[in-house]
Amino acid sequence: MSTAELIFVLVKAWLVTGAFVSVIFLTIGIDQIDEDAQDAYVFRPLLVPAILLIWPLVLWRWYVLKTGRDNPMSRFHPVRKAHDVVAVMLAAAIIAALVAGFSVRQTWPADADPVQLSEKSESSK
Amino acid sequence: MSVKYVPVQWNRNKWMYDGFLLVGVGLFLGFFLHIRPDFLSGNDPRINAQILNARAFGVCAFLMLSIILSIGPLARLDPRFSALLYNRRHFGVMTAAVALTHFGFILNWYFAFSKSNKYEALLFANTNYGQIAGFPFEMFGLFALICLLILSTTSHDFWLKFLTAPVWKRLHYLIYPAYAAVVAHVALGMLQDASGNVFPALFVVAALIVAGLHVAAFVHDRRHGDPVAEPVAEGWFRICKASDIREGRARIGLLPNGERVAVFRQDDKLSAISNACAHQNGPLGEGRIVDCLVTCPWHGFNYDVRSGRSPAPFTEKIPTYNLKVHDAEVYVDPNANEPGTYVEPVEVPPLEGEA
Repeated sequence: MSTAELIFVLVKAWLVTGAFVSVIFLTIGIDQIDEDAQDAYVFRPLLVPAILLIWPLVLWRWYVLKTGRDNPMSRFHPVRKAHDVVAVMLAAAIIAALVAGFSVRQTWPADADPVQLSEKSESSK
Repeated sequence: MSVKYVPVQWNRNKWMYDGFLLVGVGLFLGFFLHIRPDFLSGNDPRINAQILNARAFGVCAFLMLSIILSIGPLARLDPRFSALLYNRRHFGVMTAAVALTHFGFILNWYFAFSKSNKYEALLFANTNYGQIAGFPFEMFGLFALICLLILSTTSHDFWLKFLTAPVWKRLHYLIYPAYAAVVAHVALGMLQDASGNVFPALFVVAALIVAGLHVAAFVHDRRHGDPVAEPVAEGWFRICKASDIREGRARIGLLPNGERVAVFRQDDKLSAISNACAHQNGPLGEGRIVDCLVTCPWHGFNYDVRSGRSPAPFTEKIPTYNLKVHDAEVYVDPNANEPGTYVEPVEVPPLEGEA
């Protein structure tokens, strides 16, 4: 099995597990942990794509809320401190990407014959 | 604000907002696909309709993402831009849809004719991660797309309440690495096509604007951040003078535990509530009181500043704080009350000129 095939299998396993979690959560769990969701069914299919992607987070929050471990005051602690660091890192990353892109950009005529920059792919070897 | 969840909380403003967005995306794509396709193809006959579609949707997604990322720092630099935050989630969902369409065109052209599964072909077609020229830039795009899908699929208000605003915000910080990845994706991908200058110019200007706005907002926050509350005797913290607070407005104080408190003046009585809205932790202290209720400047959630409760039938609650006024100075107890706890407002002398 190639690395690409292995990654593809793992992704499928992740999504299938997410589908299983979404069925259980949207039929049983959601009514137990959110009173605003009780008797509200039309919006539930909209939650499925997110559960497929972040099901471990869903299971963790479900557990925290169901077992009464949620700290209601934690909802009022905005994550503002990290914002400064993220803003500077984003700007630095943008500059780095632009420099990298322009440093290897080629200026030959558009109709020049293409040149193979990378090695041939696994399938064509 | 909701009592029971509905699929999408549309109202007239949101219909208009989404309508403008759709028209804007349609006009953009129409221009680059039908009026000036040469901007993206450089009149190269090898650029067929499939590739042109992929490029047009890709450029559109990049510019939409650039606009979304510019709104936050703009709102911090000038509160008048806060109105643009309204319905930004719909903007994000539409951006993810445009990016997904770009992905579809790419996958079904460049990788569709492989003997292998096209998704696997995307992963193994180029594995030269050790070089800049010829780097598999598709992986940057794939990473950004996964981030955008996570952000757009978790945009419903259910996720805000279920995950809590701080966790939801942390998750949505993915927008930053996603944008950096998109810039790298374009810089090592389409920018390498030397056949045109319109797109490279557009790309560089947009990326530098996003970077510049974030640095400017960072500097602005450092210079004009919320004042730190000063500790005084018996655990109380000084926020400001009572006369510093205008009628219907608040002064914000940063408490030692990192929480922000907003002290409001309403009819010459002071009340203190958490500065963080229960919805997305928007800065309530930057809102103003209308009909006894403070309105969050981000999405319009309302709270009674005396109790921290949203008006019925809504159920949102935020913490309140005990406060006292001594020698015209306002002091706050940093130990917040349970969300929704009523605190009797403290009377203060009328402001000069308003008595």
